[in-house]
Amino acid sequence: MKSNQIRHHQILQQALLYPERLIGYSDAEWELLIRLARRVKLLGRLALTLKANGLWEKVPPRIASQLKSALVQIKKMQQLAHWELNRILWALEDFDTSIIVLKGAAYGLANLPYSEGRLSVDLDILVPKNDLADIESLLMIKGWQHRTLSAYDEHYYRVWSHEIPPLVHAERATEVDIHHTLTPLTSRLKIDIKLLFDAAIPIKNTRIKTLCPVDMVIHCAVNLFQNNEIANDLRDLLDLHDLIVFLGTKEPEFWMQLTDRANQLQLGHILFYGLYFSQNIFKTPVPTGVVDRLHSKPNFMKRWAMRWLVPLALFPQHPDKPMESAALARHLLYLRSHFIRMPLYILLPHLCYKTLRGLFMKKHSIAQQR
Amino acid sequence: MMVNQIPFEEFHMLLSKQGLRVAVGPFNICIHTTHKPLATKLYMLYRHYRLAQDEIAEFHVRIVIERSFSNPLTRKVRFLLDGQSPFESFPLEQALAVLEWGINLAIAVRVNHLLLLHSAVVEKNGHVILLPAWPGSGKTTLCTVLTHRGFRLFSDEFGLMEPHQGIFYPIPRLMPLKNESIEAIRNYLPEVVMGQLIPNTQKGTVAHVCPSKESIQLSKQVAKAKWIIFPKWIANAPLKIEALSDAQAFMLLASNAFNYEVLGATAFQAVTHLISSCNSYKLVYSDFDEVIAALKKLVDEV
Repeated sequence: MKSNQIRHHQILQQALLYPERLIGYSDAEWELLIRLARRVKLLGRLALTLKANGLWEKVPPRIASQLKSALVQIKKMQQLAHWELNRILWALEDFDTSIIVLKGAAYGLANLPYSEGRLSVDLDILVPKNDLADIESLLMIKGWQHRTLSAYDEHYYRVWSHEIPPLVHAERATEVDIHHTLTPLTSRLKIDIKLLFDAAIPIKNTRIKTLCPVDMVIHCAVNLFQNNEIANDLRDLLDLHDLIVFLGTKEPEFWMQLTDRANQLQLGHILFYGLYFSQNIFKTPVPTGVVDRLHSKPNFMKRWAMRWLVPLALFPQHPDKPMESAALARHLLYLRSHFIRMPLYILLPHLCYKTLRGLFMKKHSIAQQR
Repeated sequence: MMVNQIPFEEFHMLLSKQGLRVAVGPFNICIHTTHKPLATKLYMLYRHYRLAQDEIAEFHVRIVIERSFSNPLTRKVRFLLDGQSPFESFPLEQALAVLEWGINLAIAVRVNHLLLLHSAVVEKNGHVILLPAWPGSGKTTLCTVLTHRGFRLFSDEFGLMEPHQGIFYPIPRLMPLKNESIEAIRNYLPEVVMGQLIPNTQKGTVAHVCPSKESIQLSKQVAKAKWIIFPKWIANAPLKIEALSDAQAFMLLASNAFNYEVLGATAFQAVTHLISSCNSYKLVYSDFDEVIAALKKLVDEV
């Protein structure tokens, strides 16, 4: 009965897991698939999956043209992010610091399979906290600006967040998010960020680095299960799956290193969720015993709740028939995401402020989406 | 089957239940609304469009009625694309204009497998004339006149071009006349089928002209371009057609396209090829009779 209830989850999941089954999709199923994939930024990935499996010729023309459009747009966005990185490096040419590229741009630099199908709108970089003020002023001298922020939003970023307010160059539109650590300062997790800088891998012939493979996996899980609200984040879980499949088969020591690192950073419970849902939804090959090596794991109650909530939030809602249970799951995970990011004395006023502003103001500001 | 081959009751039911699917040029659009006054207008203005109930639709749009928290007594309309709202809500009586703009927006932001030039496009003698938007040019007005005097409508807004072969696709949609052009067209073309006046929109008063039945029925017939004419209406000005250099035409066309930057090198090559295979002109006019005669002469010459 359950599988009937979430037929649209199946349509998307099966397409990604078993692309050969797409041959049997009816026009109505193809149409729904495209609408769902678009909602969770997976059109590009779907297109590449079809091409990699030699199925491109069998895609209905009205579907193929939409996938093609998505690939064209993704290529452009990646080019823009790449150019923004080039300009950042130019602006910081004479400043000695470490720059670690995160997320989408990093996956491209690490040659992760399917990374050319990933839509990334922003450029995310990580720099040492001590250099942050200098980097920000250097960039602002060379033309980057902050969007106009309310005093509250400014405070949110400066005092509580793990990144500074986004910078955008006056002549371009790509947003640059500069991080100085991986989780909000208000969260209970205190990551020793120096460990990540020390292990980062230099990219040949450049001054930039990416996180080392296991840190990349852990950051992906942290971003999904600690920093985000999980709604429509299926793409991020697929990133995690792709990272694990790619890196896990490359290095024999991968799994040992991954669990050791998660334990060292005290992020075992976050990695647990990442592995659990990646395995659950994308059938990621996680060797037995890996999870047992994690020192901290969510307790039974949390696991039980998350097992129910997370898929309902990760998968997009049916565009014509949104489910109330999924809406509820999303609300609960939204509260959870704030609860784990902020102590109650900050959280309660924050949520009141956002609710009131949401009711009275039409324009949605940046911090409101966080 | 055409929209006017089903009774209004069925049309209205499709709109309010599973969605009405119409073929608009190369795309199928699934429209959903329970707002009956909009259904009535659409039944009149969309009467020549082909129904595509059993086909894949690229765009799923909705017009919903809502009341805002701050002003609970006034009903407003909101446009949704796949359940997402790209802009604010508008007064109830603007429903048709909001729907039409919303569909244009959806096409402009999503379609990248074709180059989208910002241009009116008409066809004559098997070839296409591009009438790109010169700011304040009144391209919709000129397009309305031409398509009621022997030219076939491709679009008053989108030059949909397959970038590798230079083929243009017709996408005949309702033509939104604005402000004083409404009266000008009513006087000049008393036979046009026009929707009601919609006052106080973002672009002033708007009225939608229905494309001719023939333009819609022939919308599968593609064509290549032969002329690029940048029109400009200036009150009382004598008619003037001047040749435009390829370089000037290129800059005007490329800088005013919807997705030229997104397509990158593909777009550059496509526009280069387009310009070199077309004659480009700058046109100033004030009188409809004169401009029709001049353009007919031009297309018969070559």
